[in-house]
Amino acid sequence: MTRNNTSKTCPRGYHDIGGDAAGAIPRTELAWLHWEKQTEAIRNLLGDGTRRIVSLDEMRRGFENFGAEKYKALSFYRRRLDAMIDVLIEKRVITCEELDAAISEKRAVWLKAADQETP
Amino acid sequence: MSSRNHKHDHFHDDHESLIVEDDAGNLEGQIIIDALQDVLIARGLLTAPEVLKEIEKLESPGVHLGAKIVARAWTDFDYKAKLLENGKQAIGDIGITVGEAQIIVVENTPKKHNLITCTLCSCYPRSILGQPPSWYISKAYRARAVREPRQVLAEFGTVLPDDMELIVHDSNADMRYLVLPEPPESLLDINETEMESLVTRDRLIGVMR
Amino acid sequence: MGIAARDHRFQPGDWVKVRHLRKSGHVRIPFYVRGKRGEIVNFCGSYLNPEDLAVGNTAGPAIDLYRVKFAQRDLWPAEGAPEHDYLVIEIYDHWLSSTDSSGGRQ
Repeated sequence: MTRNNTSKTCPRGYHDIGGDAAGAIPRTELAWLHWEKQTEAIRNLLGDGTRRIVSLDEMRRGFENFGAEKYKALSFYRRRLDAMIDVLIEKRVITCEELDAAISEKRAVWLKAADQETP
Repeated sequence: MSSRNHKHDHFHDDHESLIVEDDAGNLEGQIIIDALQDVLIARGLLTAPEVLKEIEKLESPGVHLGAKIVARAWTDFDYKAKLLENGKQAIGDIGITVGEAQIIVVENTPKKHNLITCTLCSCYPRSILGQPPSWYISKAYRARAVREPRQVLAEFGTVLPDDMELIVHDSNADMRYLVLPEPPESLLDINETEMESLVTRDRLIGVMR
Repeated sequence: MGIAARDHRFQPGDWVKVRHLRKSGHVRIPFYVRGKRGEIVNFCGSYLNPEDLAVGNTAGPAIDLYRVKFAQRDLWPAEGAPEHDYLVIEIYDHWLSSTDSSGGRQ
């Protein structure tokens, strides 16, 4: 089974995998983690009828534009989170700088908590 | 994004079917979404109680709702006809709110089997069944279910007779799909709760008969 | 959305072919059905085009959406699927052209 994406007129996205060769189906049942729920919840809120800030299709465009390497390296919900952020920055809803600052702040809190746990 | 770390220490090859975050990756996800939430709250775009309420909303649907729909269709012929005609409306009629544009209910019969997938991402009737199982979002399932569905079914222990019709539904656009499994041979000896317990998630997706 | 009353181009049983549109960006018609012939199953209503929604355009127009049925043997000739195995997928009107059952299919 080879992946036919040679058509010059129709680019085939790396997410468009129907019919590709792949191994056995992994039958793992993973728990749905809090950050994953929070990601979905925030995307739903941003896409709802009163806000209309990030639609599902905009988010999909986000991860379809990541580049194959990043797409393949990220888990399902991490893809969605990063794509949502890309769209929010692109649409100037938030800035990269303010998000970076908020991330540093959160990271510091976690590091401090981890420090306190280790005797 | 300078501080959004997505560097993974573990090795990913092209055939890795399901990318799972390690502990560090999960912590990173939590840090980033908490930070994003703070920024969005500071900008007045949402509130923390709204996020909590939305998480509750995401957690409430599940297979139990699918089971309720199926048990009703098994026991009420008119309801089944309505369900096959207009899934969203019939499901709404029994008090289940459907968020999707439409639910197409596809019926398994002794001669016909239906299987649901989404090759482009992981579309799933989330407002009824909740989040899809991990294997549903795996590359292997998304890639193979449309091309070699009988082999995929066999991996789940479902071996279809050659003369049974098989329809694969790729949920690529606005519709979402729910399989109506075949009822047990006799519905006389079991109550509704027992009936609902026969309806599993895997039967509603169609990987089991 | 999902306005069923308006006129639409195809009826159940009509043969259609999926066009090879030169579209980059976000599209919802997978590569494996492009250029393939299939049969209309039903009209699903009209929906905003995901290609527009992906770039933040919510002004429409709404596009007719159909479920289309393809023989597995036509999609994947090398797989040797039974003749009664099908795939059903949703295709927006602008990706479809009219055809007949004979083209390329016995």
